Amino acid sequence: MMTRFNQLPTLKIDPTKKVIFNYKGKTYSGVEGDTIASALYANGVRIYARSLKYHRPRGLYSLDGECSNTMMEVDGIPNVRTENTLLKQGMTVKEQNVKGSAEKDMLGFLDKLDWAMPAGFYYKMMHKPARIWPIAMKQIRKTAGLGEISPDFEMPGKFDEIFPRTDVVVIGGGPAGMTAALAAAEKGLRVIIMESRPWLGGFFDYRTAEYKDGVALYQRGQDLAQQVEANENIRVLKHTAMVGAYSNCLVTGFQTGTDKDAFNERYVEIRANSVIVATGCIERPLIFDNNERPGVMQVGCALRMARNYGILPGENGIFSVGHDLGLEAAIDLFDMGMKIGCVADVREDGQDPELVLALAKRNILLLKGWVATEAHGKKQVNKVSMSSIDGMITRDFDCDVLVASAGLTPVTGPLTMAQIKLRHDDFTGFFVADEMPENTFSAGRILGINNALSIECSGTLAGIKAAKACGACDAAEVEAAEAAMKALPGPVRGSKLVTAPVKGRKSFICFDEDTTIKSVKQTIDSGFDVPELVKRYSSAGLGPGQSGIPGHNLPLYVAKYQALAGVPVKPTTVRAPIVPTFIATYAGTNHTMHKRTPIHNLQVADKGILRKIGVWERVRYFSEDYSCKKEIENVRNNVGMLDGSTLGKFRLHGPDALKALQRIYVSDMSKLKPGRVKYSAMCNDDGCVIDDGVVVMLGENDYYITTSTGRAGQTVEWFRYHTRYDGWDFSMVNITDSMGVINLSGPNARKVFEKITDEDVSNEAFPYSGFKEMLFKDVIPAKVMRLGFVGELSYEFHVASSYMTSLWQLLKEAGAEFGIQNFGVEAQNVLRMEKCHIILGQESEQRTNLLDVGLGFLWDRKKADAKTVGAVALRQAENDPSRFKLVGFKMENNGRAPRDGALVVDSKVRGYIATARDSFSLNEAVGMALVESELAKVGTRLEIYEDECGDERIYGKVVPMPFYDPDGTRMKS
Amino acid sequence: MFSKQKPMWGEKTQLKSSYDAVIIGGGLHGLATAYYLAKEHGITDVAIIEKNYIGFGGAGRNTAIVRANQRTQYNVPLYNEALKLWPILTKELDYNLMFNNCGNLNLMHSEAAMKAARMTIATAQFHGVESHLIDAKEAKELVPALNISEDITFPIHGAMFHPPGGIVRHDAVVWGLARGANKYGVEIHQQTEATGIKTQNGKVTAVETSRGTINTKQVLISAGGYSAALIYGMLGIKLPISVLTIQAMVTQPLKPLLNHVVSSGAYHCYANQTLKGEVATGAHMDQWPNYTTQNTAHYIKHQAEALSEFLPCLRGVKFMRIWGGLADMTPDMAPIMDGNDHVEGFYMDCGWGYFGFKSCSAVGKYMAQFMAEKECPEILKPFNYRRYEKHQLMGETAALVNYTPDN
Ligand SMILES: Cc1cc2nc3c(=O)[nH]c(=O)nc-3n(C[C@H](O)[C@H](O)[C@H](O)COP(=O)(O)OP(=O)(O)OC[C@H]3O[C@@H](n4cnc5c(N)ncnc54)[C@H](O)[C@@H]3O)c2cc1C
Repeated sequence: MMTRFNQLPTLKIDPTKKVIFNYKGKTYSGVEGDTIASALYANGVRIYARSLKYHRPRGLYSLDGECSNTMMEVDGIPNVRTENTLLKQGMTVKEQNVKGSAEKDMLGFLDKLDWAMPAGFYYKMMHKPARIWPIAMKQIRKTAGLGEISPDFEMPGKFDEIFPRTDVVVIGGGPAGMTAALAAAEKGLRVIIMESRPWLGGFFDYRTAEYKDGVALYQRGQDLAQQVEANENIRVLKHTAMVGAYSNCLVTGFQTGTDKDAFNERYVEIRANSVIVATGCIERPLIFDNNERPGVMQVGCALRMARNYGILPGENGIFSVGHDLGLEAAIDLFDMGMKIGCVADVREDGQDPELVLALAKRNILLLKGWVATEAHGKKQVNKVSMSSIDGMITRDFDCDVLVASAGLTPVTGPLTMAQIKLRHDDFTGFFVADEMPENTFSAGRILGINNALSIECSGTLAGIKAAKACGACDAAEVEAAEAAMKALPGPVRGSKLVTAPVKGRKSFICFDEDTTIKSVKQTIDSGFDVPELVKRYSSAGLGPGQSGIPGHNLPLYVAKYQALAGVPVKPTTVRAPIVPTFIATYAGTNHTMHKRTPIHNLQVADKGILRKIGVWERVRYFSEDYSCKKEIENVRNNVGMLDGSTLGKFRLHGPDALKALQRIYVSDMSKLKPGRVKYSAMCNDDGCVIDDGVVVMLGENDYYITTSTGRAGQTVEWFRYHTRYDGWDFSMVNITDSMGVINLSGPNARKVFEKITDEDVSNEAFPYSGFKEMLFKDVIPAKVMRLGFVGELSYEFHVASSYMTSLWQLLKEAGAEFGIQNFGVEAQNVLRMEKCHIILGQESEQRTNLLDVGLGFLWDRKKADAKTVGAVALRQAENDPSRFKLVGFKMENNGRAPRDGALVVDSKVRGYIATARDSFSLNEAVGMALVESELAKVGTRLEIYEDECGDERIYGKVVPMPFYDPDGTRMKS
Repeated sequence: MFSKQKPMWGEKTQLKSSYDAVIIGGGLHGLATAYYLAKEHGITDVAIIEKNYIGFGGAGRNTAIVRANQRTQYNVPLYNEALKLWPILTKELDYNLMFNNCGNLNLMHSEAAMKAARMTIATAQFHGVESHLIDAKEAKELVPALNISEDITFPIHGAMFHPPGGIVRHDAVVWGLARGANKYGVEIHQQTEATGIKTQNGKVTAVETSRGTINTKQVLISAGGYSAALIYGMLGIKLPISVLTIQAMVTQPLKPLLNHVVSSGAYHCYANQTLKGEVATGAHMDQWPNYTTQNTAHYIKHQAEALSEFLPCLRGVKFMRIWGGLADMTPDMAPIMDGNDHVEGFYMDCGWGYFGFKSCSAVGKYMAQFMAEKECPEILKPFNYRRYEKHQLMGETAALVNYTPDN
């Protein structure tokens, strides 16, 4: 292990605290504060991975996880960005995508075969002859992909989620973000600041250059961080990467927990009134031959390795840079002990004179207008060729680290994702936003400024603008801040160079996908002339690094290559999550959201077998016998109870309530009488039945209606939508969840009922289709309906959810002497089927209209004024012979019931079986089917085709409906 | 192969003043129709007018799932033919469309769903398309990553297994067809917007574009999500189409994990692994009309929650990118293919929702036949748009406009 600086004021590590981990089966040690990548580097690891396609050696490059170079498998989790992941005691770290090791990869030879793999080669090869494709495909699948995950992998850790609301959200905890947060907080606003690194400070954090009056930048950074953390109006989310920005000031991200947090990662979704984007810059990679060889790294990476992690990245450094930060870093690293052979700057002029002087003072050779053209060294850089920009003169330098950076590039992802249009600005070379949406502001280096004071001032300005947008300050303050900003240095000129003067066969524009300059040229030559298409064909920017490496260079290069055509520089799109995010993290707490009925626990205690049906959890069976024989027979011969609480329940009232009912229901609802229940149906504009249920009149202009379980959620909207132009005065309330329903059915139902009330509930006093509001035990108010869905004497009790348990127990106790039993949804399904009472969705599909299912009798043609939804279509359909019809059928020769969903066929499909069962009540198989109208006549033979039946068919015959108790005496007496 | 590359679909050329046929929209359907017009019917004087670049629309955004286990007898034969065309097209176009016929597994989470699946399976089998109902255990054998335990929101009861389906490389289809069509002389004009259709005495006479007017007697609108608006704007024909945003996403690339396409209606989620190793997953449609292709925060979260349950090992995998496209939905989830009705020489091919990828090969073939012979091929007849005037929906979906992800 190399010696590390342990006294620097900028360190993020505690060199005294060891952290032991396992790498490739061996024990290593790092220190507290290390990332996995920095610990490995300190242990001498230089080759972290092999590249996707050519298996080239790859190493540390940006230190911010912008490419897959340093992705590894950690504790069984693939593709972990080791540069961003803090080292923990006992971690197990492995390399990925290598045959052998990253050091010695048996697939390394692929690098020589690049000539055989030009852009798009997959498309042009491996399909001739056709039989080789399946074999080739297997091979492609094996070689593609980076990490590996086992099918039974269980993600360890705790995941959480928060959805904070705030006035201002600041993305980026650098100097601009911090001053912005402070300015907004000062105006009394609530602020959230998100910073992807585990600390605030941004690019001040690791720089020793002077800020002002002898204070170093890092000191200023620490000072600002303290102010921010101490401010009560500011909520600081560190180690929180912004991943998505949406219109309307919605920002998402994820936070990595510390040892003190109760979560490993948590999803953060912030709804703000104003957004400040202060994401700063990353470096624009310099492109030359072998520009990704281990040992080649960006300026920030080299400097932060030393300043934050106490590791001098090399002994002999060479620099090839395009901005002042590069010069500054060379000076600082030199002062820390790195020998520097030369600093090449792609700019001919424009350097900060003081930096030039400082380099000269240290005798560091500065080559203006020069650039690296090739890194040498098989696995690690040991020499670099430099040349003048025009390629005329070249010189070689030995080195063990090459610090390379073409320029800066603003992190505009949050802007692009929020649909803000960007334009390429020639002066800075940045993509900039000319127009920002209301409530969104940017600050800091993203604007092209580089002066520390300007950066802070731009933050303050953005903070004040955000405050103004939130109504917390006036225009004068904005003007004052703008004036202050004008007085400071503005944007600086950016370097234009994309690639060194090379052919580009081994010059990589995208590391993740191994896309070279040469393959980009091939792509453009093939007709893919816009960056978005180049991306697709060459794969540049489609890898795990989310375009961090090629994002800026690709559009620049595409425009440059087609220079003669005058192609504008257009940015490519950026898509969330801008930082790859675990599915576990997005899922957060992953709650199950199912509704339970008010007597759920009683049903479970009675051994109900639950099923998730739509939004509900319901009991489908009460025994393991899924044919429900006992439950069915009990209802037919005795008495049973069903929890029907999932039914949709609504109250509709107001002077125009009746008009609304007339519009929505097909029947004439003006015929509703107090004390009576009316069954009816709703259609859509195509006349298709969408719902059925009952309506009762509670009083003048006051109605109570029920819908099927599945439609409960949409019903209020359905009424609103279809009456939206009428201006009618009525209200509708969904009381589905506040009411429960008990269905009491069977020949003994009345006897049970009589035991809980003194009122007369005889057939005369409370006949079929009757409705009563009753009070049980002096306290339980209930709406009671006499219905017969299952085909027996039956009562439905609608009570407030809070009374459900009491009433249920009451009925259960009353029924005890008869042996009352539960029945579930499947028993109900068979019972009602025997009676040919349909369930929408079961005996109908979306195209089935009211007439098709035999409910035409409900439709009142005379109420034309009501403009009943669906009536026009029904009129048209009346004479249409091509429609399906619902029929009842029995099986020939007493055969078994066909399976639900079997087809009715001849040489074509003629219909299908909706529901069919071997009926215990009838001792034969019966069912309902939807068939073409030609087959609907009673007596027609149905040829039934079941799945997996081969050549075998079974046959049924159309019979009249219903099968059970055809004249309804059981139900009505 | 190793020499200097040439533009795959020809050098950029001037727009001529007239063509035998003009196709609006350089998506899957437009390109396929042009290809077959030229190849099968010798109609090579064809211009494809594309507003952006070819593959800009659904063609470049879909998740490339192909299958033939549709619900009705009208659809099954069409999709079956489409499915069988992938290997043939690969050969004809001499372009690897990378058909991975890995089979589709459509999960069922309730007794009711098993019944619905049985009908679809019976329909497939009746038409000679392989498809089977399997139970949860068998599903787990095919996809070891599946969670078949009871303690998830929607426990898995079984699945509809359709072995001949799979995935095709969507970009390859676009580029291969473009190259193939261009070889026969079809011109592809990108960055050219169609702005109007001129008619005279009920006949098409010209198409107006951002680069000038083109005289033609035949025009097809196959502009994906934009078709309905164009057809209304240009000819005043109103179609019952709602345009919604549909989103999809991919994870970081992995070594082989999923060997089949897995989809679940209850979870509104499907997942398959591309040849690049990414797990592509999607299905969600925002249920309000929307012509943007913006993605939403709630959706990626929803998707993560769903995958966490039925493919829990993916919790350790990272999402990498989400995107959106347009789905032009009809009330019966079946497309509209029609022509020569309102206006002679005008054809439309739209309403493809989220299933226009898997169909494009066969549809291109028959739309080309339609345009060449001016007579609707039998197989396309049920898809006429007058069915909506007669309130005769096709029944491609059982549930009432309930958008399921079983692509
Ligand atoms: C996220 C997503 C996932 C999907 N997944 C699948 C799947 O797995 N399987 C499947 O089968 N289908 C899927 N689809 C659906 C499928 O992509 C579409 O149905 C299909 O692309 C439609 O093809 P098209 O040629 O009609 O239209 P598109 O491919 O959308 O092409 C239409 C073209 O018309 C152009 N255009 C528009 N207006 C004009 C104009 N005025 N002038 C000129 N050109 C114009 C557009 O720029 C576009 O290029 C998915 C769709 C999306 C969005």
